[in-house]
Amino acid sequence: MSYSREIWVYCEVRNGKITKGGMELLGKSVVLGSGIGAKVAAVLVGDEISALAPEAAAYGAEKVYAVEDPKLHCYQSEAYASIIADLIKENKPSIFLFSSTDIGDDLAPRVAAKAGTGLTAHCIELRIEDRDGKPLLHQTVPGWGGSKRIDIICPEKRPQMATVKPGLFDCPVPVYGRPFELLKTKVELSNKLFRAKTIEVHEAPSCELPLEGADIVIAAGWGVCSAGEIDRVRELADVICGALGATRPVTDKGFVPVDRMIGQSGKVVSPKLFISLGASGAMHYTTGFEKAKYVLALDQNPHAAIFGMADVGIVGDIKKTLPLLINELKEMRN
Amino acid sequence: MNLIVCIKQVPDPLYFDRITLDPVTKLVKREGVPLIMNPNDLNAVETALQIKDTYGGKITVLTMGPPQSMEVLEEALALGADEAILLSDRAFAGADAVATSYTLASAIKKFCEFDLILCGYETVDSGTRQVGPQLAEYLDIPHVTGVRSFKIENPEYLIAERRLENGYMKIEVTLPALIAVYNEANDPRIPTVSGIMNMASKSLKTYGLNEVGLISADVGLAGSPTQMAEMSEFKQNRRHEVFQGIPEEIVKQAIARLKELQAI
Amino acid sequence: MDFELSKEHKMLRKAVRLFAEKKVAPRALELDEKGEFPFDITEEMGRLGLIGLVNSGSYGGNGMGHLARMIVIEELSRVFPSLGVFFQAGNLLMFAIESFGNEDQRKKLLPGLCSGKTISAFAVTEASGGSDPTNMMTTAVRDGHGYTVNGRKTFITNAEVADYLGFLCRTEDKFSVFYVEKGTKGYEVTRREPRPGVRCLPVNELVFADCWLPKDNLIGQEGKGMNATLTTISTIGRTGAAGVALGAMQGAYDGALKFCKERIIYGKPITNLQAIQFALADMNTEIEATRWLCYLAAWMLDRGKSPREMAPEISRAKLHSVDMALKNCIRAQQLMGAYGQSPEYRVEIFLRDALELLTAGGTQEAMRVTIGRSITS
Repeated sequence: MSYSREIWVYCEVRNGKITKGGMELLGKSVVLGSGIGAKVAAVLVGDEISALAPEAAAYGAEKVYAVEDPKLHCYQSEAYASIIADLIKENKPSIFLFSSTDIGDDLAPRVAAKAGTGLTAHCIELRIEDRDGKPLLHQTVPGWGGSKRIDIICPEKRPQMATVKPGLFDCPVPVYGRPFELLKTKVELSNKLFRAKTIEVHEAPSCELPLEGADIVIAAGWGVCSAGEIDRVRELADVICGALGATRPVTDKGFVPVDRMIGQSGKVVSPKLFISLGASGAMHYTTGFEKAKYVLALDQNPHAAIFGMADVGIVGDIKKTLPLLINELKEMRN
Repeated sequence: MNLIVCIKQVPDPLYFDRITLDPVTKLVKREGVPLIMNPNDLNAVETALQIKDTYGGKITVLTMGPPQSMEVLEEALALGADEAILLSDRAFAGADAVATSYTLASAIKKFCEFDLILCGYETVDSGTRQVGPQLAEYLDIPHVTGVRSFKIENPEYLIAERRLENGYMKIEVTLPALIAVYNEANDPRIPTVSGIMNMASKSLKTYGLNEVGLISADVGLAGSPTQMAEMSEFKQNRRHEVFQGIPEEIVKQAIARLKELQAI
Repeated sequence: MDFELSKEHKMLRKAVRLFAEKKVAPRALELDEKGEFPFDITEEMGRLGLIGLVNSGSYGGNGMGHLARMIVIEELSRVFPSLGVFFQAGNLLMFAIESFGNEDQRKKLLPGLCSGKTISAFAVTEASGGSDPTNMMTTAVRDGHGYTVNGRKTFITNAEVADYLGFLCRTEDKFSVFYVEKGTKGYEVTRREPRPGVRCLPVNELVFADCWLPKDNLIGQEGKGMNATLTTISTIGRTGAAGVALGAMQGAYDGALKFCKERIIYGKPITNLQAIQFALADMNTEIEATRWLCYLAAWMLDRGKSPREMAPEISRAKLHSVDMALKNCIRAQQLMGAYGQSPEYRVEIFLRDALELLTAGGTQEAMRVTIGRSITS
């Protein structure tokens, strides 16, 4: 069975827009594709979804596969999976990427099982390397809480499927007006495809600065909360216009919302500057900010693992040092 | 209700840093690392127990793994599950998510009747969240993952609430179905003494490749579309310039350094 | 000799440890400060089946045995010794009724006690003495279809929260054991002793003033009470005290070890220093030795050895365990410097609670009497 040299990206749509994660994957696919002469295609499923095709093209898609139906206006697990699996059967892409969102993590595995192929979830790097004469997608995942790097390959089955957390790859600069090929498909939607029917969707937009794409991210660790200084961390975030994140113990106790947890099983960020405050540096947390350009860490224990993950470190008592840090940065700003 | 819970034995995350990589054989060495039931699977077991408490029924727990995995099945039996099945065979080793799901599904098809299958949303070792939806696909039943809560409306369907990054989704699911339970769903119970004492008298069967009726090409490493190409130790590459001393001074020095690096 | 614990015992330890860390540890400081009896915790323990471990399933227990009980007491005491003492005091009447009482008494009292819904206490000590009962002044005189009781008991753990109180008293020139229900006319808990340790379990003085009890409240035969009491105290009270001391010592050691690993002096954790390592090594060894002495006594009771036969074993376990606990709880505090006395660091509680064990289930000297007699007779 020959497969087409196409790299597909499932472009998840939330609140009427293609998610940042989708855009990042389109950008990455263009880079991957250029090495092997592969076309980049976006896959859109929804209601009147082809309207977003030009957007997908602006971020790098040369082809857009769109499946539209009013019944598909919000995510329907089996319907979406079946539709996408059929598209795969028809068009045989060699690589298929999904953004690892709650929906992506729900959809991609079922698609892989339907398509009879493998899936590597939560990749932190993708590259194409020749292996026995054929180009293979090397899918890198962190192992054992982040202390290891594992390269996974899918040598025989196609497409090679991977999910990637949003925020890991650079978001390409959109170029509007690019030409693209739109392939719309009509589908028969039997009742069987709606055995798990989404009946309500509630999404509360966050009013605080989002972590995705933030230039500066500040993470509050348990050392900050136990010192009662969480408000000061918010002050710091305000002063330098940083997005606020936190470690698991902090979000577990509700000091910071759960969707701002930074780590392997939470949010992965790639800011210019990452500031870690009062977190000892557990592996599954540090994996969340590996891609930060620069890391500043503050902790009271000189032997804390976090200092091994920092470019610049300050050893000091949170209560004493944090206010000084804020003052210095305030002065700098003025 | 006939309930099935799929569980997994994993290394205790508190000891992940003891897991080493043999540079020569490239095999993972886990000796001395304590093993536990995947914490999220305990939520799945608790969910099943709560359903049984309310509606009655039977709970079968299932795991695929080496013989030592029996321990997590025993834990589940002590908590109140009725019977356990261990799928263990050399041929099953090295399985990726797809091969694992396929093996579990085959065993379920052969040995069990069910109204609802429960599993944890994610494991602490791989955390890929794949097995739930794939198992549902192989059993041709609907699935919902990341479930915080659900209500069984009648024997035909339930309404589940699943998490979203910034909210939630309500999904109407016809039975039989698979639910992957999120760790916020409940607070797992502690086994009682009588539960512990009754554990040994409950059915715990072990099945291998032949009993499940599979061929080795379809399971384990041989049946895995994905495989590991390489594994290496990883350490972040950072400058490690740590300042210690009088707070006022070191804060100034740290900021000056960041300015030099053009980080701010 | 297979020293491996059974699967069930290992599971039990894990379950109790989880319960202790999840449900007890977060509240220990507050409970100790307030000195309030933890009713909700004891009810939860009853629900899990932890209270009726040496009682039969016919009466609401589960009969898992004395080793199971030792493990439970150890694991709870490791986090909050007061809970261990709850078993040490609360299981006494439960054992007496099952071993010496009649079927009606068993059916009436045991289900509630095993489930944690009711609480019991056992009173022997009087102002005139605890170790030597010959001066006992509490008496029960035949009166119609029952007895009239007069007297006063002191230092009785849990009396004021007990639904049922078992007690030893004189009948004619011998001794008998009775039980009285809370609220019975003529029976009153009069005082609560302030204690430095085990602060959430009350230690009380109580009074019988012409308290009439029906014949049904006599446990066992009239005149055979001393034997019943000594057996009960040995099997339950002493083993309990041994288990609490073992757990408390382990808890103090765990706290000190954690502290030492994090305590940085001259740029290195103090666990790098040989003096600290030696102290920890000694503690570690003493705890292990004590553990096996305690487990041996419990294991032999499970094997059906009679408490009378077991008296020296049990006394050794209690004697050594309490001596070692006091020694090591102080050592733990010393390893932590001033933080050793800080309630926030939770290690000081183990010493205060261990002090109560000097007299729980009998004094250290009483243990020596038992052992000495068995050696020299």
